[in-house]
Amino acid sequence: MYQNIFNVSIFFIVFRETLEASVVVSVLLAFIKQGVGKSADDPTVYKKLVRHIWIGAGLGFLICLVVGGAFIGTWYTLGTDIWGASEDLWEGILSIIAAIIISIMGLALLRLNKMKEKWRVKIAKALEQSNIRGKGWFRHFTRKYAMAILPFITVLREGVEAIVFVGGVSISSSAKAFPLPVVCGLAAGSVVGYILYKGGDFMKIQYFLIVATCFLYLVASGLFSKGVWSFQNHEWVKAVGSDVSEEGDGPGSYDIRKNLWHVNCCNGETSGGWMIFNAILGWENSATYGSVISYNLYWLTLMMTVGLMLFKERHGHYPFLKFWTKKRNAAPLAQEEQKSPENEIQQFGSSDESRETKEALVSVV
Amino acid sequence: MRAFSLLATLAASATAALAATVQYDFSVEWIQANPDGDYDRELIGINGQWPPPPIKCNIHDRVIVNVTNNLGNEPTAIHFHGLFMNGTNAMDGPVGVTQCPVPPGSNIIYNFTVEQPGMYWYHSHFGGQYPDGLRAPFIVYDKDEPFAGQYDEDTYLTVSDYYHQSIPWLTANKFLTLINPTGAEPIPDAALFNDSQNIKFNVEPNKTYKIRIVNVGALVSQYIWFEDHDFKIVEVDGIYVEPTDASMLYITVAQRYTILLTTKNSTDQNYPMISSFDTDMLDKLPEDLVWNVTGWLTYDENAAFPEPALIDQYDFYDDFNLVPVEKELPYEPDYSITVDVSMQNLGNGVNYAFFDELSYVAPNVPTLYTVMSSGNDSTDATIYGSNTHTYVLGYQEVIEIVLNSKDPGKHPFHLHGHVFQVIERSEASPDDNSFLVYDPANPGTVNEYPMRRDTVYVRPNGYFVIRFKSDNPGVWFFHCHIEWHLAQGLALTLVEAPAEIQSKQVIPEDHYAACKAGGYAYEGNAAGNTVNLFDLKGEKLQPKPLPAGFTARGIVAMVFSCISAFVGMGFITWYGLSDLKTTEREVAEVMGESLDDSDASK
Repeated sequence: MYQNIFNVSIFFIVFRETLEASVVVSVLLAFIKQGVGKSADDPTVYKKLVRHIWIGAGLGFLICLVVGGAFIGTWYTLGTDIWGASEDLWEGILSIIAAIIISIMGLALLRLNKMKEKWRVKIAKALEQSNIRGKGWFRHFTRKYAMAILPFITVLREGVEAIVFVGGVSISSSAKAFPLPVVCGLAAGSVVGYILYKGGDFMKIQYFLIVATCFLYLVASGLFSKGVWSFQNHEWVKAVGSDVSEEGDGPGSYDIRKNLWHVNCCNGETSGGWMIFNAILGWENSATYGSVISYNLYWLTLMMTVGLMLFKERHGHYPFLKFWTKKRNAAPLAQEEQKSPENEIQQFGSSDESRETKEALVSVV
Repeated sequence: MRAFSLLATLAASATAALAATVQYDFSVEWIQANPDGDYDRELIGINGQWPPPPIKCNIHDRVIVNVTNNLGNEPTAIHFHGLFMNGTNAMDGPVGVTQCPVPPGSNIIYNFTVEQPGMYWYHSHFGGQYPDGLRAPFIVYDKDEPFAGQYDEDTYLTVSDYYHQSIPWLTANKFLTLINPTGAEPIPDAALFNDSQNIKFNVEPNKTYKIRIVNVGALVSQYIWFEDHDFKIVEVDGIYVEPTDASMLYITVAQRYTILLTTKNSTDQNYPMISSFDTDMLDKLPEDLVWNVTGWLTYDENAAFPEPALIDQYDFYDDFNLVPVEKELPYEPDYSITVDVSMQNLGNGVNYAFFDELSYVAPNVPTLYTVMSSGNDSTDATIYGSNTHTYVLGYQEVIEIVLNSKDPGKHPFHLHGHVFQVIERSEASPDDNSFLVYDPANPGTVNEYPMRRDTVYVRPNGYFVIRFKSDNPGVWFFHCHIEWHLAQGLALTLVEAPAEIQSKQVIPEDHYAACKAGGYAYEGNAAGNTVNLFDLKGEKLQPKPLPAGFTARGIVAMVFSCISAFVGMGFITWYGLSDLKTTEREVAEVMGESLDDSDASK
């Protein structure tokens, strides 16, 4: 099955982290294009700053690869093969995890521009003129290489996050299912980041994102349904013993008490075209009450979540939580500033630069 | 004509005067026993002993068996396998066919004459009860047998498979359940010789022993041989045959073979005798299963008892080629029944066995009692039920049964009340997916004088053809003698000359009393309806078939799921398209505040 060479969860984790990192890089590039750091005046400064950004990002990426490789390598040599006899059980668990990851990440895609804005603000604040703390060569160093340090730290942080998550979900996946999704995730994330940098027709991008997200959620709902199906199949195989595999698609290959429909053909686990149907939509030739109900519940939950998120966006708070939300927002934004690690970087620049930053902030598309 | 019949009557009564009456009182009860030395369990014994005692009588004797059920927890019934019960169909014994189950605390009397010589056996015919212990030989001595005087001792030998768990428990939990969708029969735990193992059969040199062999098992056919000793087959299932040399027998459950074995000259050695399971019939072979059982022809108690030698292949004698002493040419059939044997799953997920599309389900009223209470309607097969698969046969006709097996297993089929000519038996089909079907236009091998017996096996995906004369009015069961398959419904009913049964036979009161004691119906059609015999409402039927494809609820589920997905995607699109002014506003807020901050700090 495709899961032997392509672990969906790993793909999505790497995709998301790469996306976020490439958003940061693209925003930075956009800023310096707009002239932050005196780059508008001097093309060599511009080129230097661009190089800084790429060196910082590249260095972070390299360290991630090394750390990641070492981590995953030791993980696999220490880990044992628990795939074995409870195949359906593991498949069920993995499917549900993948479905959850995709679900959480999916909606963020549609607010990609919002993500970009968030980063614009963060980076702008980081570049803002403010009280300079600390003295000496360290401050000088960070001032000079701020454009490299920022992407370096971002890429490093996103990368480590990715490694930890991937380690977690790959606990029972085969080592073969590793390289392909990582490469694909990196590629996909970089491509989307590049599109954002280039800007282009916002609406066209949004349509594309909507279609992609719909597709994503079809896959996720299918995965969720298949996860539940796998659990029920595991119980059945345990009850009957080894004979189930002999039954193919026929009577005895499924539990009649839990079955909602069954056709003696079109097996999504074994026959050609139907496997694609199975991979995309979660089609099973022998559906259980559990698999169908979970499919519908998944969509219902999604609809409710979207509804809630839209409500928040329109009104600034979740339904019935107006009072509580206002109370929370009263806490000063300074808390946010302190949380952000970028602020540990010494601020640099003059008031001129601060003005440039603000201009860049409002003018960057 | 009158003179002849007078003479016949005189002769009969003369014989009858010489015949004795043999009476047995059987108390059927649970006995603690451990035949394979591995496992102590309760088995069904008789009169405080297990194995149950053999019944012995001479030909023409009257046998009366008074059976009292002291089991406490199960009904019972006894069938005398191979005996014709001519004129006394009610004594045949299968529950649902000729009698009700005899409930605990009740009794029933089987009273019949034996007009056949040879080896038979008796066993429970309630549910799958007999492998729980209630089975033993029934020996009929005949001083006029064709090989009289050719042997020194007349003895018997039983072989059997054996289960540690009780049959009702195995049936409910392991066999007839949806978690056994392939219908795999439970694997026996041991093989037995004379309900024991490692038996010593004491023999003297230069003597001939007549050994009546019967397989009283539930499932497995066995190969039997005596190392270094050949023997002659002289009788099968009560039919004398021309003595035939052989070195190995293949005996299915319920079959009997009587052999003459001549011992060697010297007493210096003992020789192993082996019975070995036909492991083809087992779904799987557990590692700890010992599928042979050994004994020894013991010439010298003090000599060694060697282990049996391993053999390469089973070289057994094919009983199809035996020639009866009373030779008959093949009958020409008057009425032919053709049935296909198959195993399929029904709507409750359980695997059942079928003759054509019907899996046998016992009626509410035993079929014989329906005959007795149906007057002129007794010749209409409808009244006997939709799931008893009943054929009504005429009197004094030749009936043919053609059985085409669509199953890759070997099955031993038994016909009550008769022996039959084995006209043809095909080889096994070349593979699991092809079937050999009887074609009367292209017959296979038919012997000049066909072999006769009452239990014959069909080969995988093959067929057999049998013929018999309907000269014994009665209700006769035809079924696979593998107890598991009988539980799955591999049976059909023959109502032979019902008008004759009504006019010539009587059901004894104690038989009806057993029905009443157990609360069972004993009059009317298969549903118990005494008023309208053609109204079968309330009869027992086989489970519904599995649904083929999408049922109504499946379609609803599918449609609903599609709607969910589409509406869900609609929500996603709505979210995607909803305006982003809020983001701009947030940015502006933050910008405003930070501008204030930076101004303030200057």
